[in-house]
Amino acid sequence: MKVLIVEDERAMAKDMCFFLEKAFYLCDNAYSASEATRCMEENGYDFILLDLGLPDSDGLQLLSDSKKICGNASYIILTARGDLEDRIKGLDLGADDYLPKPFSLLELQSRMQAISRRKSGNNDPVIGLGEFSVDLNKRAVLHEKTDIDLSRKEFDLLSYMLLHKNRPLTRFQLSEHIWGNFSDDDYDSNYIDVHIKNIRKKMSVYATVDWLQTLRGVGYKIKI
Amino acid sequence: MKLLTKLTLFITLSKLLIVVLFVMLLPLLVNRASFQYTNYYLGQQRKKVLAVIQKNGIEYYLQGDTSYGSYTMLKEEYISLSPSSTVALRDTIESSQRIIEADTLNYRVLTHHLTANNKRYQLEIGKTISTIGQYNSLLQRFTLYILIGLIVISILVDLIYTHVLLRPLAKIISSKLVHRKFPFKEALFPVRTSTSDFKLLDRSLMSLMEKIQEAFDKEREFTSNASHELMTPISILKTNIENLLEDESLAEEHQEKILAMMKTLNRLKKIVHSLLYISRIENNQFAMNDTVEVFSLVEEVKDELSHRMEIQDISFINAISPKLIMSQVNHDLLFQLLYNLINNAIRYNKAKGTIHITDRYTQGKPYILQVADTGIGIRPDELGSIFNRFKKSAHSGSEGYGLGLSIVKTIASFQGFDINVTSEFGKCTTFSITVPAGMVLAR
Repeated sequence: MKVLIVEDERAMAKDMCFFLEKAFYLCDNAYSASEATRCMEENGYDFILLDLGLPDSDGLQLLSDSKKICGNASYIILTARGDLEDRIKGLDLGADDYLPKPFSLLELQSRMQAISRRKSGNNDPVIGLGEFSVDLNKRAVLHEKTDIDLSRKEFDLLSYMLLHKNRPLTRFQLSEHIWGNFSDDDYDSNYIDVHIKNIRKKMSVYATVDWLQTLRGVGYKIKI
Repeated sequence: MKLLTKLTLFITLSKLLIVVLFVMLLPLLVNRASFQYTNYYLGQQRKKVLAVIQKNGIEYYLQGDTSYGSYTMLKEEYISLSPSSTVALRDTIESSQRIIEADTLNYRVLTHHLTANNKRYQLEIGKTISTIGQYNSLLQRFTLYILIGLIVISILVDLIYTHVLLRPLAKIISSKLVHRKFPFKEALFPVRTSTSDFKLLDRSLMSLMEKIQEAFDKEREFTSNASHELMTPISILKTNIENLLEDESLAEEHQEKILAMMKTLNRLKKIVHSLLYISRIENNQFAMNDTVEVFSLVEEVKDELSHRMEIQDISFINAISPKLIMSQVNHDLLFQLLYNLINNAIRYNKAKGTIHITDRYTQGKPYILQVADTGIGIRPDELGSIFNRFKKSAHSGSEGYGLGLSIVKTIASFQGFDINVTSEFGKCTTFSITVPAGMVLAR
């Protein structure tokens, strides 16, 4: 998949590029609106990540312009402005999602995956996990047709780790995803351990869960 | 007591006092006036008699007799002319008794001495006292009616005038003080008045309010701008650190250091985020047109946090009255408000503690919602400052940054709620939210 990152902060753009390339996306960087337009005219993209605060143009203007050039791409707005109004305008103009800065790169990737799933439609939302299968649409975890009863938070946690399999995930990253921006890190991240313990307890009744690894001092990782 | 009430009372009472004094003095005054008039009348009569004598001589009266006397039919007045031996230069007027045809009557008598035909005569003109006071009571009543009428008119005029005079003050109070809630969102208009004191008061109040609003706006703008400017570098650092952690070849000690950096950065991010959230609330970026069922809202928050309560074995009682609807609010903000309060109630609770959510609803009265816990409590000296931004407990060792409660406070004032807290240190804490009457209705 090809991604165009329109972001004037070069360090930020490079970091996003570095991260996404590890997940096998192909990334181009554009540091201004004019550069972005040129890139879009030359190449087709699956994703366009658009920062609203560009030096040479209003990001929302660029969004409506680029929709004409690159109509098939999925757009995610990235902004530090975070105003509700911008968000509504952006989504009205046809953006697929909206991510306020600072965001976690994992969150960005999750959103991109969700958009891909939504757009492809026929993409199988059931993901295998050891002897289990996880149905992201129905929010169910199955072991040979047996439904395993996970709480809402436990399922959120498991699916998030599954979407970012083979990456080390810190407690902060997990609690930020589960509880949002107002999570109280020191305090909340302890609850992640409790949730993980519960997930292990509930699933290990049916089969081994050694794919769920604890990274001492850091966090957790699903390795498959 | 209001100024207008005080003035009204004063005006009415002072006028009543005048009436009472006048009623007490009135008989005396009327008596005095009628005696004086009688004296004057007797003097006039004397002049007439003297004029007749001057013109026709004393024989006109005496007709050869040595003395003359005449009285009206009912003996109200009499005149007598008799020889006299005393020499008096001045007339006298006195009240004395006279016997006329066997009747003893009280008269007001003018005595005059005159000389005619080389003889001395004494002229007496008298008027009965009873006729003098004849019109007194009528006069008194009449005067009293007029006085009462005048007093009533003057009270009315005074009251209407004070009312008109004080109307600008009432307007200043209602438009600038009573119906104003900080922040002052609506524009300010000067109250129209010709009274310079009120003008000064109004202007001073307006300039004070504008100054406060200006300072508040500046702080708000600064918070908002600073937060935005801080977000970008935080973003860069965050993505950078996340990429670093991806490196599988990283030594464990480096991983730990990176994790510590991430933790600090997260703290920074959270502070900036909370400030931005507060400034967004203060900038009116949340629409307030949701209706929320209070009971379900508490249940929603409970679901979100039930895991934590299970872990600490805390019992949660949602005793909110059913079917209460809160209107003109923002659902997300209310959720955040209750989330923060209940999360605190869990965090600062003891194992096997209780969280009790209660309310008090009376139609037409403010609605009160309380979040009570059986936790560690708050020290009395810290109760007053727990809603302040960045207030850190001097006693707790943990990294409390207090923004959770200042978010609660900001949401509450944005929605027009009052919030206060009571606590018994080491035992319990209760947060009470008071919602203005009319915002909560039973379905």
